[in-house]
Amino acid sequence: MTDTISSGPGAPKPALRPSQRRGSRKATMTASLFIAPAAIAYAAFVLVPLGMSFYYSLLRWDGIGEARFHGLTNYITVLTDSDLLQIIGNAFQLVLYFTIIPVGLGLAVASAIRGQMAGRFGTVTRTVLFLPQVIPLVAAGIAWSWMFASTGLVNQTLKAIGLSSWARGWLGDFVWALPAVGIIGAWVLLGLCTMLLVTGITKIDTSLYEAARLDGARPWHEFRYITLPGLRQEIGVCITVTVIAALASFDIVYISTQGGPGITTTVPGLEIYRLAFAHRQVGLASALAIVLMVLVLISIAPVQWFTRDKK
Amino acid sequence: MRTAAPNTLVARGLIILLMIVTLLPFLSMLSAALAPQGTYPNGLQWPADPQWGNFVKAFEVAKMDQLLLSSALIVLGVVPVAVLIATMAGYGLAKLTTNKYKWLYLVFVFGLTLPFEAVITPLYYEVRALGLLNTRFAIILPLIGLYMPFGVYWMRAHFLNVPHDLTEAAQLDGATRWKEFVLVQVPLARPAIMSLTILLFLWTWNQFLLPVVLVQDPMQRTMAGALGAFQGQWGTDIPLLCAGSLLILTPTVVLFLIFQRQFVAALMQGAVKG
Amino acid sequence: MAELTLRSVYKNYGEVPVIKGVDLDIGHGEFVVFVGPSGCGKSTLLRMIAGLEDISGGEIRIGDRIVNDVEPRDRGVAMVFQSYALYPHMTVYDNVGFGLKLANTPKDVRDRKIREAARVLQMEHLLDRRPAQLSGGQRQRVAIGRAIVRQPDVFLFDEPLSNLDAALRGDMRIELARLHHDLGATMIYVTHDQVEAMTLGDKIVVLDGGIVQQVGSPLELYNNPTNLFVAGFIGSPRMNMLPGHVDDLIDDQVRISVDGASLTLPLPFGSVSKGDSITLGIRPHALVVSPDGPLSGTVQLIEQLGNETVVRVRLKASELTVVLPGQGNFVVGSPVSLGFALADIHLFNADKKRVRRPS
Repeated sequence: MTDTISSGPGAPKPALRPSQRRGSRKATMTASLFIAPAAIAYAAFVLVPLGMSFYYSLLRWDGIGEARFHGLTNYITVLTDSDLLQIIGNAFQLVLYFTIIPVGLGLAVASAIRGQMAGRFGTVTRTVLFLPQVIPLVAAGIAWSWMFASTGLVNQTLKAIGLSSWARGWLGDFVWALPAVGIIGAWVLLGLCTMLLVTGITKIDTSLYEAARLDGARPWHEFRYITLPGLRQEIGVCITVTVIAALASFDIVYISTQGGPGITTTVPGLEIYRLAFAHRQVGLASALAIVLMVLVLISIAPVQWFTRDKK
Repeated sequence: MRTAAPNTLVARGLIILLMIVTLLPFLSMLSAALAPQGTYPNGLQWPADPQWGNFVKAFEVAKMDQLLLSSALIVLGVVPVAVLIATMAGYGLAKLTTNKYKWLYLVFVFGLTLPFEAVITPLYYEVRALGLLNTRFAIILPLIGLYMPFGVYWMRAHFLNVPHDLTEAAQLDGATRWKEFVLVQVPLARPAIMSLTILLFLWTWNQFLLPVVLVQDPMQRTMAGALGAFQGQWGTDIPLLCAGSLLILTPTVVLFLIFQRQFVAALMQGAVKG
Repeated sequence: MAELTLRSVYKNYGEVPVIKGVDLDIGHGEFVVFVGPSGCGKSTLLRMIAGLEDISGGEIRIGDRIVNDVEPRDRGVAMVFQSYALYPHMTVYDNVGFGLKLANTPKDVRDRKIREAARVLQMEHLLDRRPAQLSGGQRQRVAIGRAIVRQPDVFLFDEPLSNLDAALRGDMRIELARLHHDLGATMIYVTHDQVEAMTLGDKIVVLDGGIVQQVGSPLELYNNPTNLFVAGFIGSPRMNMLPGHVDDLIDDQVRISVDGASLTLPLPFGSVSKGDSITLGIRPHALVVSPDGPLSGTVQLIEQLGNETVVRVRLKASELTVVLPGQGNFVVGSPVSLGFALADIHLFNADKKRVRRPS
């Protein structure tokens, strides 16, 4: 056996052989076969409808008769009609309740308990706090309709502590119906946010707190300079989940108030449903749907951007 | 230096308070459900003569047995298929494609924040055109598509973490891509698949918008969708409504209590990744 | 018979070339080691042979078949991975038998082969365990077992010992050598560790920058490195390199000066010219203490290893490592003079190539 060796950068660079392209084409084929079913389902029931939504949004159409091209009129209506603007505003008001209550309370609990959720107590806590995540939102809506009813627990409690004058039919009240719906959402999301934040805080190195204390940090400083930055990702997750839940809410409102009284609790999701299937204004409903989608995207984008791991 | 002790007490107090707030609506419903029919019960008041029969009545009125079957059929139509094709696509996107196909993944991810309301109107016309309106397929087929962004995202994230060496070892062992997928990747992905299954089960069982829009007959709907109809029909009879609602949310709660750990893990990871 | 031939093999990642034209012949039953620093392309080359990387250019033959476009599973190769790549959800038995199962080997044949491999590797008692329950060395055996049962023409090893501790590494080295002897199969072994290369290889391929620097038996590489890279890479401790230049040519004698010392060497005519920059290489073991030696300096550091003594000696402009047998008696800071036999020096020209020594 002889060793015939010659190698060096001087040798000519060979062209790609055609058979190699065949190999990679085969790999692409295999990949397509794996991805195709999901892609087809996604295209058929998400991308195509989304495209249709956009197309409908440019029409004046009652869903039955002839459709007429309507340009951007529907969008102009969505962005100028005072009722529709109020409805969009309602969704953003819900964000205040859906997001701030769970995240605020969750942070308070998490920073106080700082991750001591082991053992039986932890298991019980987790189980109870996750219950609202497991039941249908519709059931939450019914439960809280009953809580807020004139003879419900909320009024019962108010009377018991001598605040009878505060008692009212909450969900039928022009001022209080929207906050009441907000409380329902907060109740649903509270446990999830709390557990996410409690779990997140256990991942913060405890020696950081000890170092901070040696540096003279007060509890507030520990929260501000260690807990909050350490939980940035979890807070981002909570905000993302809750903001989407608020802006795209439907089930809770449908069950508890049907959007009333008046339109004080109507949200875009409910209005899309009504416009499309009750009022037969498919074009306007679709324009609102597209606007809702865009609103969700632009509300989430900054949260994602701020809480992303910057490395 | 155990300055944490008082804090822990405060925190435990807070948590117990949260738990009470979480449980109160359920207890209030239970007490109302046990009140005599036709009466107007008080918020939280154990009735003198608990009417357990209300649950039987609600079970019959709501046709719970049919509802359970209908929900189960829908779940069986959605979850296995959605999990399978999401797993395949997740594997394909993580292991079989180069950066050149990143856009495909991004197209899937785009759907993650999409509110179902944004597509519900065209879905109605699409399902009608397919002649599926008022059948369970009106819920099943769209849900499979709507779950793809999350499912694919979820499974791809899992497969990205599987060492590439295993794929290559399987190739050298003579496995085709399909064999490798079935015999190596899927068994390894069991935890991720389990979580995805739990999440999709819950979302399907609790799905409300699609049944309300696409299926008129409550008996062809999911549990949650039927609950909407039940409320419409019996909304004024508080004891019956509460009894019915409690019955309808029992199946998932029971499953949750049994598989508490898996559910909690799935829901938390689901939120983080979604 | 499974000879392996590489003909001007190239590999580019996009625009970046990582293998720049490799030609290589590997005979049946040879144990060939690819060695080089990390990033030299040795693993890539191995993976191209396995079929796990596309070939950008050139041709790879196994036996008399061009395998460029043959799927890895059809090349008749088996590979042992650095990470072992055992399937975590399968028992050892199933891990070893996976390839046979895929090939639809009858169950009894499969069982026999698995048990035979387990016997050879002395891991019969591990067959029911899962990889997570095994130590590093045991996983290594399983990985090798998986390769053996397939009875491949060519075994490929990708740094298989780098995750083991030093003692185990020594044991496995001996075991691999025994395995090669028993199976008589062609084996290609990638490592960055020149000791592994020297002890295991029939033939060593030194790679750097995607180019084959030298191919030869361990002793050829040690005794006659063709260039500065190979000289520095093979041998431990590293060869000492002293920069210098050619002062004069007198007949067949060359006078060179290195770090203040002047040496006269017999060299064939025309191999160097007056004024050339050169590098003088001397292995640490080739240096001896001699009062009239040409290199003198002071002792900087002493390492007593028991059987030998490693001394760092500071010359005027550079430092030398000297390995002396036994337990020498040195004092840091004291002067020392070093000599060597002319046959033990290596001379490299400005192109880093070896200057041929007189035969």
